[in-house]
Amino acid sequence: MNAPPFDPTFLHRRRFLVDTGMGLGAIALRHLLGPQDQPATASGKPPIRPVFHPGYPYAPRAPHVVPRAKNVVVIFCSGACSQLDTFDYKPELIRRHGQPLPGSDKLITFQGEQGALTQSPWRFRQRGQSGKWISDLVPHLGALADELCFIHSMQGKTNTHGPGENYMSTGNALDGYPSMGAWVTYALGSEDQSLPAYVAIADPRGKPQNSVNNWGPGFLPAAFQGTDFNATNPIRNLARPSAIAAGTDAATRRFLQRLNERHAERFPGDAELTARIASHELAARMQLTVPEVADLSSEPAHILELYGATTDGSSMSEIRAAYARNCILARRLIERGVRFVQLFNGSYQTGGEGVSNWDGHKDLYNQYRRHGPVLDQPTAGLLRDLKQRGLLADTLVVWCTEFGRMPTFQKGALGRDHNPNGFTCWLAGAGVKHGHSHGATDEFGYQAVEDVVTVRDFHATILHLLGLDHERLTYYHNGLERRLTDVEGHVVAGVLA
Amino acid sequence: MAARLAVDGLARSPEADRATLIRRLYLVMLGMPPLPDEVATFVADPQPGAFERLVDQVLADPRYAERWGRHWLDVVRFAESNGFETNRLRPNAWRFRDYVIAAFADDLPYDQFVREQLAGDALGTEVATGFLVGGPVDIVGSPDPVLTAQQRADELDDMVATTGTAFLGLSVGCARCHAHKFDPIAQREYYALTAVFAGVRHGERALPLPPQRAAELATIDARIAELDRRLAPYLVEPAAMTATPAGQSLRPPVDHVHNDERFAPVDARFVRFTIVATSGAEPCLDELEVWASDRNVALATGGTRATASGTLRGYAIHQLEHVHDGRVGNSNSWISDEVGGGWVQLEFAKPERIDRIVWGRDRDGIVLDRLATQYRIEAAVDADRWQVIASSDDRTPFEGATKVHAVPVYNVAAAPPAEAAQARAWLSERHAAQQERAVVAPPPMAYAGTFSQPGPTHRLHRGDPMLPREAVAPGVLALFQPVALPADAPEQQRRLQLARWITSPEHPLTARVLVNRVWQHQFGTGLVSTPNDFGKNGARPSHPELLDWLASEFVARGSSIKALQRLILTSATWQQASAPRADALRVDAGSRLLWRFPPRRLEAEAIRDSILAVSGALDRRAGGPSFLLHDVDRENVYHYQPKEDFDAAQARRMVYACKVRMEQDAVFGAFDCPDGSLVQPRRSVSTTPLQALNLFNSRFMLQQADALAARLCTEVGADPAAVVRRAWQLAFQRLPEASETIEAAAFVQAEGLPALCRALLNSNEFLFIP
Repeated sequence: MNAPPFDPTFLHRRRFLVDTGMGLGAIALRHLLGPQDQPATASGKPPIRPVFHPGYPYAPRAPHVVPRAKNVVVIFCSGACSQLDTFDYKPELIRRHGQPLPGSDKLITFQGEQGALTQSPWRFRQRGQSGKWISDLVPHLGALADELCFIHSMQGKTNTHGPGENYMSTGNALDGYPSMGAWVTYALGSEDQSLPAYVAIADPRGKPQNSVNNWGPGFLPAAFQGTDFNATNPIRNLARPSAIAAGTDAATRRFLQRLNERHAERFPGDAELTARIASHELAARMQLTVPEVADLSSEPAHILELYGATTDGSSMSEIRAAYARNCILARRLIERGVRFVQLFNGSYQTGGEGVSNWDGHKDLYNQYRRHGPVLDQPTAGLLRDLKQRGLLADTLVVWCTEFGRMPTFQKGALGRDHNPNGFTCWLAGAGVKHGHSHGATDEFGYQAVEDVVTVRDFHATILHLLGLDHERLTYYHNGLERRLTDVEGHVVAGVLA
Repeated sequence: MAARLAVDGLARSPEADRATLIRRLYLVMLGMPPLPDEVATFVADPQPGAFERLVDQVLADPRYAERWGRHWLDVVRFAESNGFETNRLRPNAWRFRDYVIAAFADDLPYDQFVREQLAGDALGTEVATGFLVGGPVDIVGSPDPVLTAQQRADELDDMVATTGTAFLGLSVGCARCHAHKFDPIAQREYYALTAVFAGVRHGERALPLPPQRAAELATIDARIAELDRRLAPYLVEPAAMTATPAGQSLRPPVDHVHNDERFAPVDARFVRFTIVATSGAEPCLDELEVWASDRNVALATGGTRATASGTLRGYAIHQLEHVHDGRVGNSNSWISDEVGGGWVQLEFAKPERIDRIVWGRDRDGIVLDRLATQYRIEAAVDADRWQVIASSDDRTPFEGATKVHAVPVYNVAAAPPAEAAQARAWLSERHAAQQERAVVAPPPMAYAGTFSQPGPTHRLHRGDPMLPREAVAPGVLALFQPVALPADAPEQQRRLQLARWITSPEHPLTARVLVNRVWQHQFGTGLVSTPNDFGKNGARPSHPELLDWLASEFVARGSSIKALQRLILTSATWQQASAPRADALRVDAGSRLLWRFPPRRLEAEAIRDSILAVSGALDRRAGGPSFLLHDVDRENVYHYQPKEDFDAAQARRMVYACKVRMEQDAVFGAFDCPDGSLVQPRRSVSTTPLQALNLFNSRFMLQQADALAARLCTEVGADPAAVVRRAWQLAFQRLPEASETIEAAAFVQAEGLPALCRALLNSNEFLFIP
């Protein structure tokens, strides 16, 4: 700064501002601007902010402790998949079918009043060595009962889809917070340097209800957002534009490189400039690698069959096959070391209220009859394939949804309303128990009552399996050391192997 | 600054050369580079004070306010869609953006700028309160009281938290759930602030008609009144059309197209339209209008929420939101899911004094089934005390399609021919006047919130709206001169008092926070590197005395942002060179001590604007409705697909692009562009392969490379050396070195001029503030 000429009012003004800050104000100001002598996370533990070179945001970084899992596949059933028609077996619901839910006369849920308790249209059977009761809606997943670790006592905080998806995907019901995948990528980087570290695979029918917020970076650097592509739709702007000849494209790239190198000579040691040069190199590698990963033509027939990626021409089998191809893509990404893959099942874009998603308010039987087979065989195929390739040893598979559904049918309708009070998620693979069920809902499957697991507990557990302390993984934003789990969350020891 | 550098044995860098200075000044202050002529003039200016004059010129440039207005819009989380799952657009939110840009252009004193955003309705700047409702809002309605209370609590939290961070640099939001350990904000204080905003709701507000239009309207109304007077003898009284045998007059039967229900004015927060019988099948309502004198208060854009007994499944064109979306016709209507009945309920953003309801089955008069033939309309202030305000009981029973519409009907046929001709002329004149009125009368609307006197505010245990504790009166934070307000203080007074408290010249935070923001955008990092946290969690200022001095100067100079900027820009610190020095890098790699001007990458908007400016495609039209970067699918939940083709409509500055929450621009969103969901005082700067791919391969970039190539050809012809020279001047504000000219000219000859332009627009030199 130019030294200001001496100004007799200067001291006066300063005193005006600081000293005569009217007693309390001055004290508060000192307090506000005072030294930072306190730990900044709510848990009292010092934060661990990952350090990365801006040019290499995906360079692998060490977890806080030795991890149980290295990669994650999250399968997200958008629309709120009913626990009562899939994995949460309630004989009392069958016995009391047609009777009112006790205490429900004044209960108003998302769409209004309750009808009677209603058993699932699908029969439950015992499966595997564990004898786990699973419904006929998902027989392929049922056959894998001994691989899965169920959490039946999940509890959310909101009963609207948008905030519910936000809560499950970002740990906050409001928009604008970083997704779990972004947190994990921020913390750990990636094992692979020629693919995006975090891939979000949208359902073939379209985007989920809260769209890209499910894989957004929030306030984390944009480098950590999920890259959105699936087996049908490639990454935008990945390919060389068709109007540009390959030779010209390559020459332009070289010329650009030359321009940037010359420029960098004038700013030796500038990290941002080298970062941009490096980003062009990574982009060039991605141009080669991504199409190769997304090209499933090398997958043999028995693999396609395992996932149900074949079609008989019916629209249902087309959708199943398209989702199955996304599942195969997920495996191929994990195989190459992509850190976090988020796989969506169900879309709002082409039909909410249960048409293309799990939101079975009015006609649950006819909607789930179509959705069950789309989810079932491909997801089971993914688990089997990961296992047979030995990938499940390092990969955590998470199956989740935004919240559960009511044990009653809605008054005057043939489906179930939203219910965040109790629902089911499951884990499989690295670091978790096999053929195990944790927690429970009440006799009707309405409220979680035993070993309740909040969404933040769920997130804390996933981070724990990745070797990350959810209380210490932070990012400073807007006055706070932000965490995926805010100021809550406990690792669920009961699910750890 | 120099003293602080000396502590670490550092010294300032020499002054940057003039070409660098003007490029830096333009990019920082205007968000796009200077033209070659402007560079040449400045570089050659031999008079003392050349840079000061350039600074004055830049501060007077309209592009300055567009650039700096954008920074403020980040701070106040401005966007033009609701966010959450429905993410519908707010078509009149842009007026707030224009307000902010005008405030920067006019150098509105900062204290006044703050007061207007909190209480502009009391200060003659209605649009400014767009600040209050600039944030996301969940409009998914439900009869579930827990959900409704939570949604409201979230709306208020957004207003409280944004006010705290934007003006005071304090994160007050964490006190929502508990008294926080580290910040000096008590939970009680948080709820006192909540009480300040308790009467603010999301929605549009009518702005006063501009004087010229008000006068025009008065003229039209006088003309219509005069014509009505002349035409009165020919009016067919509604009572004359239908009469019961007993002589008691009945209203006409229900009509497919248009039914008018008039009643003595009544206060209502809720209106319920219950259908008891139909002409067949599930009933359909096209548009349901509820009028409070001259305003249709039913419109969703005004914050009214609709609920219904049920909606016929599977038809996007018959969804509930169409019943009050302001669009008419069968394709924008609601159909009940119940044969012969159903109800729709509207909840207004605030109690309204209503006097008229208009409804129909198909305002276009094309589809004639599904008409509500028996119905009642009730109103309530509280949802448990309803009164019937209109019904079908006093109508002639419906018998098939009606031909008579309930609008004034004149009969001139009985008059003598000459008189009839005159009356017909008056009629057609009246019709024309009414059509003119329909254009002139609607007031301009702004998404600036609605206000009503709130009830008591309670502290919420653990932030849970279902666990209210003691009542809390509106108030301010205790950290500085607390102001106590009575629990029942008038709504507007609450906001005004808060605004006055924040802008008190003695307030220890307000000026410092603003000074820090300005410094941050001029240098890349603030003196306090955590611009939204001056609390104990925040970073310590790098130069506390300088922050204090600038803050005192700022207040002393009338809170003029331009004066503050001039002060900083004309300092030796801002004008020093940016080249790194090995000795200094070892001590202070982040250049926090400002031993050089820290170079940095441009933000998303400035990159796009600069590309358009250099290619020559930039459309400099300012203000008005936003242009769309997406194709929008306006279902119940809006879906956005990035536009693939660009034309002149998308060539305006990016601050005029419709800011859609979650849905970023397909090319520039990846450059850490915030989406307006949260306050974003400081953007992260990341470098990703997706940025590289977007900039290198997108259609937008290829088009701009072609445009730049065409511009170069026009300006200097085909000589490769001349083309290269001009290209370097346009993109980098310097001449190419001899070796660069040779390389680039050879490249142009081999690969063509558009390829060169594509490389230049992707280059680091182009994207960095030197």
